[in-house]
Amino acid sequence: MIRFTWLQFRVQVMVALAALLAGAVVLAFTGPHLASLYSSAITGCHGGSCANAANNFLSRLTTTSPYPTVYILGIGLIFAAPAIIGIFWGAPLIARELEAKTFALAWTQSITRARWLVVKLSLTGLAAMAVTEGLSLMLAWWADPISKAIVVGGPYPFGSVFAQGRLGPFIFATSGITPLGYAAFGFALGTAAGALIRRAVPAMALTLAIFAAVQIAVPLWVRPHLLPPDRTVVSGPSFFQAAAMSVGTLTASAVPGQPEAWILASGPIDAAGQPVSTIPVACIPNLQVKTTTPNLGACMASRGIREAITYQPDNRYWPLQWIETGIFLAIALALAGSCFWRLGRRRT
Amino acid sequence: MSLVMEARSLGKQYGRHWALRDCTLAIPEGKVVGLVGPNGAGKTTLLHLAVGLVVPTSGSIGVLGASPASGPAQLGRVGFVAQDTPVYARLSVAQHLRMGAWLNPGWDMGLAQSRIEQLDLDPRQRAGTLSGGQRAQLALTLAIAKRPACLVLDEPVASLDPLARREFLRSLMEIVATQRISVVLSSHLIADLERVCDYLVVLVASRVQIAGDTGDLLASHQRLSGPRRDAGSLPASQEVIEESHTDRQSTFLVRTSDPVHDPAWTVRPVTLDDLVIAYMSRSVAAPRHDDRPQLKVMS
Repeated sequence: MIRFTWLQFRVQVMVALAALLAGAVVLAFTGPHLASLYSSAITGCHGGSCANAANNFLSRLTTTSPYPTVYILGIGLIFAAPAIIGIFWGAPLIARELEAKTFALAWTQSITRARWLVVKLSLTGLAAMAVTEGLSLMLAWWADPISKAIVVGGPYPFGSVFAQGRLGPFIFATSGITPLGYAAFGFALGTAAGALIRRAVPAMALTLAIFAAVQIAVPLWVRPHLLPPDRTVVSGPSFFQAAAMSVGTLTASAVPGQPEAWILASGPIDAAGQPVSTIPVACIPNLQVKTTTPNLGACMASRGIREAITYQPDNRYWPLQWIETGIFLAIALALAGSCFWRLGRRRT
Repeated sequence: MSLVMEARSLGKQYGRHWALRDCTLAIPEGKVVGLVGPNGAGKTTLLHLAVGLVVPTSGSIGVLGASPASGPAQLGRVGFVAQDTPVYARLSVAQHLRMGAWLNPGWDMGLAQSRIEQLDLDPRQRAGTLSGGQRAQLALTLAIAKRPACLVLDEPVASLDPLARREFLRSLMEIVATQRISVVLSSHLIADLERVCDYLVVLVASRVQIAGDTGDLLASHQRLSGPRRDAGSLPASQEVIEESHTDRQSTFLVRTSDPVHDPAWTVRPVTLDDLVIAYMSRSVAAPRHDDRPQLKVMS
């Protein structure tokens, strides 16, 4: 059955290997130069100057072709790989057999249907996980200087492609071990959709819709609560000054002392701990009278206004990775189980 | 006598619709069995139940004395050629044979290859580019080379042109002649099966209308024609299967084990075709128990 699975599956494997190879070539050609850019940027720095050097490196990198493009494409590909695998490997796995009526051939050989399904699901599922994790590891190697610079200098420049630490929604789901969980989930989702709908194309559409919804829902509503978040209150004029100057809002862009922490919510609170929704009128900088711009930070601080930040600290990265991967592997197993139920008892 | 297939009150329900209901039959081993019935009689469902592709909703079915698809051994004992003879379009003929070898411990590669050679098929050709007749032959080769004790074919020739149909049935007869094997094949046309079958089962609306050796069936049915008379006036030993009347003449197809001596009748033998049509139309005319909505005349 293993050999037969390979016979049916080898074209898809070849396509995936070709994609991996193409990715590897691009990364291998641009990676070493990226590393040398970083090492020359931080050469000779010490103490606080290293943060500046790292920030300068990231800042210059945003305009240095092709690094931002490769970085975005790489992350996008790892993000999309489980969906692509679910659509093109998972959805047709059972649905195509039913559509082409070849199930009558496959399931009347001297091998039980359960064994047929076990071998198909495990081999294809493992391939899906290997391909996605392989892409992730390749990009992690390539982007190592960027990750280091973010650790040394904090996410910078704000709003750019390099501004996400490893807990950022796009990095978290494409690094570490989560690609394993997402790949297994995407594949099992496609397979179960195919077994349920019994037609490949609608199953593909359903797979894409559900996977996209999950990718949006998890970082917004699930991941923040996998572990209880930390909360801190920051006071002092410099914080508001920096926040307002760099981002133009009063939300925090970094937790002081923890540049890589993942901020879930932040906002000013008054002395009584109540959220402050508007900046006191007296503190609003008057842009027309340039000479008398009040110091926003000092003005806020003098009214007892502080910033409350809810966040996941950076050292939660691996616990969160394990939990999220475990959840998706469990869902993948449940979906695979539903295929057994569907094929075992229902009409074929 | 051991049975190749035995069903007791067998039923299969899809949603609210019964594809097969309360079907009881027993088919002896070592025969070439024609399972004949109109479209929708439940033939495909019965055969899918027999090879274990679906499980019964009610009742039970045994094939060669065991539950269908109950394990690799039972799967190996039953060969199946499904309706429209599906094969993997993207795999070549040779790859199909390799699949058979990988998935069946009892695979006879010599038999498979010699059949492919005999049929003049190119082993490298993709199955998707084969003609309907060639595809059917490939499917038959796959089913037979696993050396089953029982071969089940679902409407194998329905979609073939007359020439391919003849070739396919000739292959089947060769297999029957050279191997000890029971065969069950279905068709909605008896003409397809007449030359190969030695046992007949007529299935209409899940019910077995008649089953038996074709020779016995032909011997026990007669067509009587003579002056017009009522079916009720026939002796009790003559069961009327079909009757037709003109103003002056009556024709009956009767089942009887006794010779017909009444000099008023012209007695003629029946063909299998006559027999099957008679049983099929009788069951349509007779009131049936089923939950399909009946047409009612509103007044």
